[in-house]
Amino acid sequence: MSQANWAEGTAVERSAVDGEAGLHGAAGSSPGTRPSQSAVSPAIHTVALTKRFGATTAVNSLSMTVERGEVFGFLGPNGAGKTTVVKLLLGLARPTGGDGLVLGAPLGDREARRQIGYLPELFRFQALLTAREVLRLHCRLLALPKHAWEEEVGSALLTVGLLKRGNDRVGTFSKGMQQRLGLGVALLGTPALVVLDEPTSALDPVGRHDVREIIRGLRDRGSTVFLNTHLLEEAEHVCDRVAVIDKGTAIATGSLDALLARQSTVRLRVGGLGEGWWSELGRFGRWRRQGEWNVVEGIDPSRIADLVDALVARGGRVEAVIPEHQTLEARFLELLSER
Amino acid sequence: MNPTLIIASLTIKEAVRRRLLLAFLSITVVVVGLSAWGFDRLAHSQSLTSGESNLAVPQALILFMFMLSFVLALSASAIAAPSISSELESGVLMTVVTRPIRRSEVLIGKWLGLAALLAGYAVGVCVLQFAVVRIVSGFLPPNPVLVCVYLFAEGALLLTLSLLLSTRLPAIAVGVIGVAVFGAGWLGGVVGSLGTAFNISALRTIGQIGRFLLPTDGLWHAAIYYLQPASLIAEDGGSRQNPFYAQGAPAWPYLLWVACWFLIVLIAAVASFERREL
Repeated sequence: MSQANWAEGTAVERSAVDGEAGLHGAAGSSPGTRPSQSAVSPAIHTVALTKRFGATTAVNSLSMTVERGEVFGFLGPNGAGKTTVVKLLLGLARPTGGDGLVLGAPLGDREARRQIGYLPELFRFQALLTAREVLRLHCRLLALPKHAWEEEVGSALLTVGLLKRGNDRVGTFSKGMQQRLGLGVALLGTPALVVLDEPTSALDPVGRHDVREIIRGLRDRGSTVFLNTHLLEEAEHVCDRVAVIDKGTAIATGSLDALLARQSTVRLRVGGLGEGWWSELGRFGRWRRQGEWNVVEGIDPSRIADLVDALVARGGRVEAVIPEHQTLEARFLELLSER
Repeated sequence: MNPTLIIASLTIKEAVRRRLLLAFLSITVVVVGLSAWGFDRLAHSQSLTSGESNLAVPQALILFMFMLSFVLALSASAIAAPSISSELESGVLMTVVTRPIRRSEVLIGKWLGLAALLAGYAVGVCVLQFAVVRIVSGFLPPNPVLVCVYLFAEGALLLTLSLLLSTRLPAIAVGVIGVAVFGAGWLGGVVGSLGTAFNISALRTIGQIGRFLLPTDGLWHAAIYYLQPASLIAEDGGSRQNPFYAQGAPAWPYLLWVACWFLIVLIAAVASFERREL
């Protein structure tokens, strides 16, 4: 399976059309255009983005579109090329092939970076500065008006739960607190796009919950979130759409609902039928016996009602029907195993 | 504020909080304080005539300033070595370079901040040392300001080179190369002096090439020239092979080359940092 498309009208289809139209034409802006002038362009749009390190291909012809205002999960196992893609999007590394636009501007565009908040996977801040000083430094780098600094800083500290530690030096912070600070830094200036690279890697369960709330808050205020993670539970909780990347190649892109709804499992308890009756109903999915339950795997959820009808028509007494949606983890593993 | 100045002020703030300046100045105060006793003995020794004493004090001061120039140059290399590479390795720079700021502004900002620290240290050292010598012996170099300028330039040169190397090499490698390059530059100067004294053209050529490739020794000799009183210059006949003697003021074309050297290395550092994939 080279690329899955789980739902009608998903980004995969749009990417293909955009790719034919050409990168800049698709984004509705020319290189160097200020993002504010191209408000209709997607937050992220790449066409055949490729990055090679010698003989190793880290990113292989990645085409994807992240719409404005959505939370986009970028999933993949360790070493899949996720962080390399982030670095390409932010201009920290140069592509060896293909191209992309971020907020309607070319990759790495300096002005576009004014509207991007970034929490890197490897996060460290100036250990001898206080948290407030680090945040003020980024306010200055963003060229925010001076009168807004204190409000921005206070709001960021409050959001990430560091208000009481604002005047402490970063060097005294735990790793988790530094990650919270990094998140606060990424939130400064109300960015249109927030790129979070493994944002909960150092956080405890409370911290992870807080991050989910922050991401939902960003979506509510209209920011786009590009969430790079290998923690599927994280993506399952907050993402509108996801892309699964493996060995530098996007193997699936689509909405989370479409991904998980495409195939499902249903558990049935049926009486009144003889042995082996399910062999006649193989068209609905793969059947197996589990104690007193019959389990149908790979069934299209829209056909469960048809299955029940078929059982009743054969004289069966349907005592229980329990649809079980596939977890993202199971789907993820399935996708990787299909390659 | 200009992004370059934001980075420069950040660099200074971090160095001050690291107590770098305080540490350097504390050590310098102790060393210079101890030197006061030595200069006092030399200036008021019963075994020296006043003429001999007038020559001995400036020569001792030149030797002492050589030691301080060594400390200054190596300090410059030490503070510049981790400035880019270590911050990239640790991730500190990642959130900075993804802001709407050019990498050239980051690098030049760091250079400015470190150079300002170096200048502060050079001025502090020179003022302290010259004041002590003036008080205990009455001697003041003919042009103390230019001595300070050339000592600072010598350190700034090594700082600039270290910053260039820091865009590609780990801090420890930059530090080692800085020490080796400074030593090689000084040795090249000594070899050149010997070549001049004994009229050996090959050695003389090595010295001249060395002073162009790495002008630290050329700048040190410029500082020496402005440390020497007229009486010492008049005695130059027997001092040609002395590596702590300067025959003349630095030539303008050479100073122009030094300015070009700074520019070339700084541009190379910017280009190297901008081309580096992070």
